[in-house]
Amino acid sequence: METLISNKLLPFVADLGPTKLQVPQSLQAAAQAYLQGQDFPTTKAERFKYTRLAKLANAQLSAAHQLDAAQLEQYGILTDAYTIYVNNDQILIPQNLPVGLEIHLSTQEAGTFHEASFYDIFGALNILHAQNGVSIALAKNCTLDKPIQIVQVNSGGKSFYRHHFNFGANSEAAIYFVSKQQEQTTSFSHTHLQYEIAQDARIKIFKLQDTAQNHFDFNEDRAQQAAKSHFEINTLTLDGSFVRNDTMVAVQGEHAQTYLNGAYWLKEEQHVANYTTIDHQVANCESFETYKGVAGDKATAVFNGKVFVRKDAQKTNAYQSNANVLLSENASVNSKPELEIYADDVKCSHGSTTGQLDENALFYLRARGLSAASAKTLLLQAFMEDVLTYVKHEEVLAYVQQRIAERFNWNY
Amino acid sequence: MSNYTENELAKDLENQEYKFGFVTDIEADTVPIGLNEDIIRLISFKKNEPEWLLNYRLKAFAIWQEMTEPEWAHVQYQKPDFQAISYYSAPKQTKKYESWDDVDPEMKETMKKLGISMEEQQRLTGVAVDFVMDSVSVATSFKEKLSELGIIFCSFSDAVQEHPELVQKYMGTVVPSTDNFYAALNGAVFTDGSFCYIPKGVRCPMELSTYFRINAGGTGQFERTLVVADEGAYVSYLEGCTAPQRDENQLHAAVVELIALNDAEIKYSTVQNWYPGDKQGKGGVFNFVTKRGICEANAKISWTQVETGSAVTWKYPSCILKGDNSVGEFYSVAVTNNYQQADTGTKMVHLGKNTKSTIISKGISAGKSQNSYRGLVQIYKGAQNARNFSQCDSLLMTDECGAHTFPYIECKNPSAKIEHEATTSKIGEDQLFYCMQRGISEEKAISLIVNGYCKEVLNQLPMEFAVEAQKLLAISLEGSVG
Repeated sequence: METLISNKLLPFVADLGPTKLQVPQSLQAAAQAYLQGQDFPTTKAERFKYTRLAKLANAQLSAAHQLDAAQLEQYGILTDAYTIYVNNDQILIPQNLPVGLEIHLSTQEAGTFHEASFYDIFGALNILHAQNGVSIALAKNCTLDKPIQIVQVNSGGKSFYRHHFNFGANSEAAIYFVSKQQEQTTSFSHTHLQYEIAQDARIKIFKLQDTAQNHFDFNEDRAQQAAKSHFEINTLTLDGSFVRNDTMVAVQGEHAQTYLNGAYWLKEEQHVANYTTIDHQVANCESFETYKGVAGDKATAVFNGKVFVRKDAQKTNAYQSNANVLLSENASVNSKPELEIYADDVKCSHGSTTGQLDENALFYLRARGLSAASAKTLLLQAFMEDVLTYVKHEEVLAYVQQRIAERFNWNY
Repeated sequence: MSNYTENELAKDLENQEYKFGFVTDIEADTVPIGLNEDIIRLISFKKNEPEWLLNYRLKAFAIWQEMTEPEWAHVQYQKPDFQAISYYSAPKQTKKYESWDDVDPEMKETMKKLGISMEEQQRLTGVAVDFVMDSVSVATSFKEKLSELGIIFCSFSDAVQEHPELVQKYMGTVVPSTDNFYAALNGAVFTDGSFCYIPKGVRCPMELSTYFRINAGGTGQFERTLVVADEGAYVSYLEGCTAPQRDENQLHAAVVELIALNDAEIKYSTVQNWYPGDKQGKGGVFNFVTKRGICEANAKISWTQVETGSAVTWKYPSCILKGDNSVGEFYSVAVTNNYQQADTGTKMVHLGKNTKSTIISKGISAGKSQNSYRGLVQIYKGAQNARNFSQCDSLLMTDECGAHTFPYIECKNPSAKIEHEATTSKIGEDQLFYCMQRGISEEKAISLIVNGYCKEVLNQLPMEFAVEAQKLLAISLEGSVG
């Protein structure tokens, strides 16, 4: 159990300026009140039970510096997309947007940041200190011809971003959120993403987290779903020494479908924590959650998924699963799949498994002439396929597979 | 009752009054209310305890004073005022009964109402009963038969007098006073309980059983149970409880410690039916229990519990699988009705190699109750080839109750295999339809399904106990079970 001797939060926030975004006063007051007298949470706090923040508190972040447009362009993954680049204080917005799609800087536009719940000091700090963000609106009945790609490049310093998405009724879009790290820098970022999904909208979010071994990557996703909408968040953690994802979806309209998927490939001393909450507020909705990961070396993976079914949310079907494979003696996995159910006519289930590759399966492959390494690779690849199957974009899939193969010496 | 619907069942459940609600009027020897060092010295003096035990109590009290009540459980209740409780209550006659006939007739009557008449127990079932009524053991049977085998089965205070070396050696080794708030409180003020020691290689020929019963207004019960199975020994231990109806909340903070040495096996079964409060959620027993067992090499500890009572339950029978090849099991049925709240589950701590644990938890929520499973499966680095299987199912009977699952799974060894699954649903309409289509009335069908739902756990209970458990389930969910 760690205790921070003196308050390390004060020096951490000392150089943060007030937010430049249009965040409601009431929200700022709430965040201010929350932060009163707070320090970095210790492992005694339930939400940080498995996350040691001392590393962040003691980190020497490199000085923030901005990259130029040409440099930023190297970090994109999709070649054909409406690409937005986010780098510290600057945001590059694409020109020639199609009818129905509007992208504004949150600093210029009166954003529509509504009351969003925050669970920790970082969420509160974001409210008070967010320096940048975009506001994206998709008109009703609009189906985007190309995906939107948001490339966040971290190049030193502390950054708080706050983005807002408004998807009109019956709209359809895919958003790729790419998080990258400039070499030789150490940085911290906290990204708040807010999604409002209107009736019948079909929205898929893909998060490609590919930061370096010296980046603290904090993410906070808040979604509100209206009736009959289909919403997906797929979080793929490819790299990054310290990643925390806090995702919350409020299902507010009937017959909505929610998919939360996650995949993580961990090695070295990576720490990746996924916290998810699906809040079923109304009846007749479905949610599906699949998080899968492998952890090698000294990596730690944390999964905490909560399915909350309120009293009125009858006929809810909620499925949640978390499966992990441990590859080494020193890796660890902490899983906490929670159900909190106040309605009776529901079908909710969750499953969690932790184990290693099936020896029989390995033997089967070895007997057919595969080397130990490729048999293992093949099985691990198959294991992760459940989540990767949601990634339909060829370019992205190829990128993911190439990155994993590189990092783990897996030959796909 | 051909039109018996689930709604009616729910209504019936709500109208269900506690059947064992009565107060026995026995003169009790009670210490003044409140808690301080003097009270602890008084308790210790009254019980004629050796100095090391008094020191143990005082140390626990000092620890307790530093602690705050835990808040993490998914329950809400009016916190007990620890200074308003009398911490010792003994039936007035302090002399030991020479024979069964000497026992206060009123007390015998009480036991009869509970359906555990000792004569009957002795004659019919061959179960030795160590009957605890308000903290002092009243009568112990079959003691001689057991002592032939070298088995010690007596009240905790007797054990302190007669076998101090065993008590001193094992007490507090599994649940130290520093463990939690209620364990510390118990360490300071425990009044009595049971002690059981099975010598090396002895297989206890009968099920050992203790009936707890809370009596006398305003008395909290602080039991302490210590079961030690020496190398290669086997014992099956039963614990069952009923309590009289009362308005004010009663606190029960017991500690149960099981120690299974190499190759030993302990089976610990509980049927708990304390007063759950009335339909408005008034009154009822607070049940804050710390139960834990430690397994040495090749040992096995199995917890089985049927929980139907108490207003607030806070109970996690756990196993520390310290030795290689040790096995931990947890089977539980928890039924909550009206305003009952239960936060119960288990902890399986895997330290040794090839350790195995199984968790089967079945929750049934009715009325406006809240029923939570909270479990921890922890695989330490050295626990090669550890294996865990957990299954937590919840059945919801009304739309006003809640069922929750909070499992913690922590794995630090790559060779471990952990599986956890949980489901929550109401009684399947297709299952009901299937039964009714075959001419089974709806009431019977519901009973059949609930029975089948709990079967996995009820099967684990010893025969004598299974009958009682089924009786209690039937009382708690009358109209649907039995």
